Amino acid sequence: MKIASVRILAASILLAAAVPATAHHGTSVTYDTSKTIVVEGTVTEWVYSFPHVQIYFDVPGADGKVAKWGTELAPTPSMMKNLNVGWSRNSVKPGDKLKLTCAPHRVVGATACLAREIVVNGKLMPLNDAQIKQAAAEQAPAGSAR
Amino acid sequence: MLLASQTVRRALLGSAGAIVFVALLPLAGAQVAPPDTQVALPTSRAPQPGDPWKADGPPPANPRDLSGKWNRVSHFQTYGAVKGGANEYQNEILDAQVTNRQPDLRPESARIKGLKYSEPVFTAAGKEAFEKNLPGYGLRITSPRLGNDPQGNCDPWGVPRMLNGQVAGPHATWEIVQEKDRMLWIVPWHHQYRMVWTDGRKLPTLDEVDPVWNGYSVGRWEGNTFVVNSMGFNEKTWLDHNGYPHTYEMTLEERYRLLDANTLELTMTIVDPEYYAEPFKSDVKIWKRDTINNKAWDENAYCVASEEGRFNRLIRDGEIGK
Repeated sequence: MKIASVRILAASILLAAAVPATAHHGTSVTYDTSKTIVVEGTVTEWVYSFPHVQIYFDVPGADGKVAKWGTELAPTPSMMKNLNVGWSRNSVKPGDKLKLTCAPHRVVGATACLAREIVVNGKLMPLNDAQIKQAAAEQAPAGSAR
Repeated sequence: MLLASQTVRRALLGSAGAIVFVALLPLAGAQVAPPDTQVALPTSRAPQPGDPWKADGPPPANPRDLSGKWNRVSHFQTYGAVKGGANEYQNEILDAQVTNRQPDLRPESARIKGLKYSEPVFTAAGKEAFEKNLPGYGLRITSPRLGNDPQGNCDPWGVPRMLNGQVAGPHATWEIVQEKDRMLWIVPWHHQYRMVWTDGRKLPTLDEVDPVWNGYSVGRWEGNTFVVNSMGFNEKTWLDHNGYPHTYEMTLEERYRLLDANTLELTMTIVDPEYYAEPFKSDVKIWKRDTINNKAWDENAYCVASEEGRFNRLIRDGEIGK
């Protein structure tokens, strides 16, 4: 499998993000939210169900062997376009190129993680209001007002 | 350190978004209450700036009409004023985990400050049953793959758990439909409802009925307080997200009162002598008339066992690569 980098973050910075997330099913006891990893692969399945949104994807390893990966996103209500961020059942499709920054699973070797930042086919797909602004800024023409 | 600064920026962006989303909702209905309309605050924690649970509206046009959509603004996920029954404890534990330190659960600590919890008075059998229930929330927070919360299989929450759940963030709505002969509590999360008969019928005895998920409920007015008495619950449900158990013998009393047109108060008492040596009283729960109306997902907040089961196995249990 190809893990581009592993970044250990200053724990205090992630703390604020970790705590609200745990209000839903205690994700912090499943994932090590003090760390993030970056994983790249090809989407095989987009599951836009309630209350957990998931992306499944294949990650090619150096030996040519494909590792099956999965990630959970924010709780569905906060992802829906009529509430907050604006994802839909058409947001991701099999074959899309995925670059995922995520908190790793606490089970060593598990190829599942909690999404922090999602780039699909080179485009940032926001997971929260701040990333919406970031995505808009990245897409704005150079020199345009922000 | 470009890499590090990017990471920090992303982390900050992510956390800011999460906080904004969580923080905005409970404040949506907040207003400043005129001094003469303030009521006693819930006992579960000290008042904080922005708390929207003061009585702040006009008197109810009809104090015996509870119908409408209500959003809980007091503690989520928890039945009572019970140690470990609050997100504050859970958040301190997770905070400690992330920052690699021992959690500070003393009453005077920064996160717990203002909370005065007490344990329910368990019997030996009750304590034993409680310890077998491993929740994904609260003081005893456990990874879902190691826990046994019936919610993990999309089992019905039952009563009273369905009254105290949340959908996402602090959004904890249900709707009361008031008919001539019954009242319905419609709970979007898990697509649940419960029915309370108000036609004067009596509760059955345990000899007459089989225990069921939501039990059997009858309601009556005592002045302007609506009193619901229930019995006949199966033993598969927990009282709340923290894993408090009960037996078939449990009875539940709910007392609802409109504090003003937009504020609904609920207190509950459970009597279950096999597990609790004393009646187990809830803290004061407060709902506000829902001001974040008609979220499209409310009516689609299913928990589907096949979907949740696959998710739990592949992602939460980490078996995707196996």
